[in-house]
Amino acid sequence: MDKRTTHFGYQDVPVEEKAARVADVFHSVASRYDLMNDLMSFGIHRLWKRITLERAGVRPGHKVLDIAGGTGDLALKFSRLVGPEGKVVLADINASMLGVGRDKLIDHGVGGNVEFVQANAECLPFPDNTFDCITIAFGLRNVTDKDKALASMARILKPGGRLLVLEFSKPSNPLLTKAYDEYSFRLLPKMGELVAGDSESYRYLAESIRMHPDQKTLKGMMENAGLERVEYTNLTGGIVALHRGIKL
Amino acid sequence: MALTSTLMLAGIEKTLNALLSRDPAAPARLSALAGSRILLRLESPSCALVLAYHAQGIDLLQIKDIDDIEEADFDAIVELDAETLGALVSGEEMERLMFSGRLAVRGKVHLLEATRDLILDLDLDWEAQLASWLGDVPAHQLAEGLRGLARWGLRTQHELRADVSEYVFEEARLLPGRHQFEALRDALTDLELATDRTEARLARLQRLLSTEAERS
Repeated sequence: MDKRTTHFGYQDVPVEEKAARVADVFHSVASRYDLMNDLMSFGIHRLWKRITLERAGVRPGHKVLDIAGGTGDLALKFSRLVGPEGKVVLADINASMLGVGRDKLIDHGVGGNVEFVQANAECLPFPDNTFDCITIAFGLRNVTDKDKALASMARILKPGGRLLVLEFSKPSNPLLTKAYDEYSFRLLPKMGELVAGDSESYRYLAESIRMHPDQKTLKGMMENAGLERVEYTNLTGGIVALHRGIKL
Repeated sequence: MALTSTLMLAGIEKTLNALLSRDPAAPARLSALAGSRILLRLESPSCALVLAYHAQGIDLLQIKDIDDIEEADFDAIVELDAETLGALVSGEEMERLMFSGRLAVRGKVHLLEATRDLILDLDLDWEAQLASWLGDVPAHQLAEGLRGLARWGLRTQHELRADVSEYVFEEARLLPGRHQFEALRDALTDLELATDRTEARLARLQRLLSTEAERS
């Protein structure tokens, strides 16, 4: 791969273009993001996020950062768990997604302990050792420089804090892989066309999942970023994996 | 497996919150409990659950990693088994369960009581919910119909039970009635006592005979 290019799905694009292209995808799907997630995953994405919450170990008074928080599913629950003494920061690089997330949280009566920040995961605008827990759910694969993003997250975690990465991964069963490929490349773009009027964004989604590092590679990347005790749990046969690392 | 237990818990949480949202008395009770957290340690199956109250309902979370549990973060810690949980939810007195050693509560005991009352005292206004979809008059007619159906169902159930009982015990005599059963049990008890007495007399006679034989 050329040094100045990176993946955008199956295409190689100039590094400086990827963020803008990803932004276009999410501007396009923001308003129907939740509906499409429910349709695409048959609602299972809610269970994957619940497991992330359960493993986060968030307590009252904690400071939590939800990167690529999208429409605020995790931030909503975190805001209740940390209580009025705690704080949740919902961060997303995409203004459209952040807007949808902010409206959703306000509709649910969440306000006092949640802040909204438009930020790039590669250079997070927070001081060192700020957060007790950082989550990034279905966001890391869209980041241009994943190593830089993981290092940035490790920097702002407090010692003892946890980073949880929930992301599509590689199924362990060959039969499941075949069925999953058929679903991703044939059915998914058609569903995107029907519901969100945009098949290309959902084709990118399927391609970006295939280009994302597998479970072991991501574990190694988290360790390289300075996190310890990194472990991962395969969910739904490895279609999704939840990685957890601790900053010691 | 992880997804199965999570799915069950999500289902319980969603059902509870949906029911609470339909109870006119729930908002006031929930606002008094909002912010409270109860740690529920179940012995069998072994798991730890967190009940976190907020103004709109309850969040239920399963804690798999023991290191994640800091008891000081909870207002009440409850330890019990699944059977006791069932008894608690079905209305058995908390004091009795605590004194019998089946239920242990540390911290604010009244929170557990308030949780149980919140669930047991659910008073759902189904007719109002129906009225919001169908309009007042059709909803009232439908609700009256459903209430009539429920009354008919209960009456029919009682009658069916009485008819089956009469046929089985009185007409076909397939099974003995309670009185017959008790009379038979009493007769068997008498027979058992009489047999014991006879056995004791026989033993005494045997001893007498053997003593006589030794003397002669």
